[in-house]
Amino acid sequence: MEVVVQAQCPGPSLSLPAAGVSNMVAKLAKACTLRISPEKLNFIVSDKVANGGVSMWCELEQENFFSEFQMEGVSAENNEIYLELTAENLSRALKTAQNARALKVKLTNKHFPCLTISIELLSVSSSSRIVTHDIPVKVIPRKLWKDLQEPAVPDADVSIYLPVLKTMKSIVEKMKNISNHLIIEANLSGELNLKIETELVCVTTHFKDLGNPPTARDAAARDRDPAQMAEVHLDIRRLLQFLAGQQVGPTKAVCNIVSNKMVHFDLLHEDVSLQYFIPAFS
Amino acid sequence: LALRSVNSCRSAYGCVLFSPVFFQHYQWSNSVKMNDNDLTVSNLNCKLGMKSILPIFRCLNSLERNVEKCKIFTRSDKCKVVIQFFCRHGIRRTHNVCFQESQPLQVIFEKNMCSNTLMIQPRVLAEAIVLFTSSQEEVTLAVTPLSVCLKSSSDEPMDLTSSVYSEMFVAPDEFDFFQIGVDSEITFCFKELKGMLTFSEATHAPIAIHFDFPGKPMALSIDDMLLEANFILATLADEPSRTSSPQSLCLSQKQKRSDRLGSNSEAGKNVTSKAPECIQRKVAPKRLYPKETLTDVSALENHDSPRMKRANGDLSEVPESSVSNTEKVPGSLNQRKFSSMFFGAVSSDQQEHFNHPSDSLATASDSEEDMNNGGFSTF
Repeated sequence: MEVVVQAQCPGPSLSLPAAGVSNMVAKLAKACTLRISPEKLNFIVSDKVANGGVSMWCELEQENFFSEFQMEGVSAENNEIYLELTAENLSRALKTAQNARALKVKLTNKHFPCLTISIELLSVSSSSRIVTHDIPVKVIPRKLWKDLQEPAVPDADVSIYLPVLKTMKSIVEKMKNISNHLIIEANLSGELNLKIETELVCVTTHFKDLGNPPTARDAAARDRDPAQMAEVHLDIRRLLQFLAGQQVGPTKAVCNIVSNKMVHFDLLHEDVSLQYFIPAFS
Repeated sequence: LALRSVNSCRSAYGCVLFSPVFFQHYQWSNSVKMNDNDLTVSNLNCKLGMKSILPIFRCLNSLERNVEKCKIFTRSDKCKVVIQFFCRHGIRRTHNVCFQESQPLQVIFEKNMCSNTLMIQPRVLAEAIVLFTSSQEEVTLAVTPLSVCLKSSSDEPMDLTSSVYSEMFVAPDEFDFFQIGVDSEITFCFKELKGMLTFSEATHAPIAIHFDFPGKPMALSIDDMLLEANFILATLADEPSRTSSPQSLCLSQKQKRSDRLGSNSEAGKNVTSKAPECIQRKVAPKRLYPKETLTDVSALENHDSPRMKRANGDLSEVPESSVSNTEKVPGSLNQRKFSSMFFGAVSSDQQEHFNHPSDSLATASDSEEDMNNGGFSTF
């Protein structure tokens, strides 16, 4: 089992998304799974009780980031590697790669399996400096792989494009002070509402003209009244965790709502695709 | 003006000397009540609580914006140091801080006798520091004549929850001065290094690192025209069995009272040979232990006992088998020899009245609970 990955002059292209993803994962859960396959890299957080049932699936196509990518999985038929690691460790290590000249990632075994990240930096005094980080990992045995597969995209009642995430985040942050229980609802006319209701006060933020993705509109042939809202009751903290992890605005952001069941966020950041599932309050 | 401090487990000592030209106005008056013995020199030696003085200089940004002049003077008849800020809009803020008399805490350390000396710009070191997480207590500096490596130090077996192990190689040509006499790997406390680094970035002067072999203290020093700072840190001894009784550093024989400043290098040599600078380390690696020759012979010895309130509570964790001295620091104080400072820049005429342009005090960190650098931005 082997992984050797190399990127030359990655600059912002690698470090930003990868660091951004690992940063986001670090905010969401302590441990995450890194799946390495010949074509892509996945960051996986599965719906453990500790996360409140939230799960995340993130995918990067390796050829968009690495100049050299070599891997050898567990076996020929199962040419994949699943590693468990502490997300924060990875995000810290990648942070130092911000201005790196070159980056190399290798799976090593130094008393303990590690993901070794070697970074060649250009220092202030213009000389080259090599930094190495050994991140402890645990290799996940094949029998557990089935729990870590890509979650099926749910059959949504409503699909809608999200408003600017930053705005959403600041609103949700304020709402959190009032109540933990948030209702998110949207319809096929491009309207999305965030609501909180308490005995004393109700606050609703209305977003209009957001647009609905084409697939949703086709499904609208399923005579669903475009004005009808599909709603889900969420724990506001889960939503906030998700929003807080989005540092950079995505290229595309879609929200799929399965009435009273869950919310599915589907984001695309440059070449990184991210899916986030928040279940409804049970 | 000398500011000195030592941390509660005696593993780090800092001293910053300000030459009179650092200040706009520096005045010392002889008419002090306490100098009624006929010592040829009469200094004001006192100590102030960190918690009293740090908050005064806390918000560096607001100090720089608002304060036009800072005046510090003492009232010996009242055992008080008065710090006055003359701010904009005619506002004047006065702080009165009580002090206790005490003998100065001094350390002998012949930094020039160390086999390894490195001098580096603070920024370069600062870049290295960001690699290490604040959860890592200790870092290791490994040198050979060809390379210098700063790496995280941990002797616990790695597991999934461990911190990342990081290392960074710095080429010899990045150093302003590079002299390695003996290959060595020393491990010392990260927090103290960070503290010193923050201070040095403010002075823009290069940092000199003097060290030898593991176990022997290392010195970090800065020397520019206006001030001279020395931070002496304990390093981890290379002990094969960690719970073995350490040779104590303070079993040096009791000596008579303070040598004065203007120290003798023989005393330095004596101390280094008699008090093996081993630092005991518990199996679960925590704090470094008292280093050599740090003594404090003062009239108020008991008062000088270090505050035992370190967050880690290391002193209490020491295994029974160890020799008692190092842990019960107050007790051992009596044993310690008083050693004097080694640099001659200290003028024995320490003055009392002085003006102090608005500038942060440089203090080595004390217990973990104290803000690391009161006036500085923290990492």
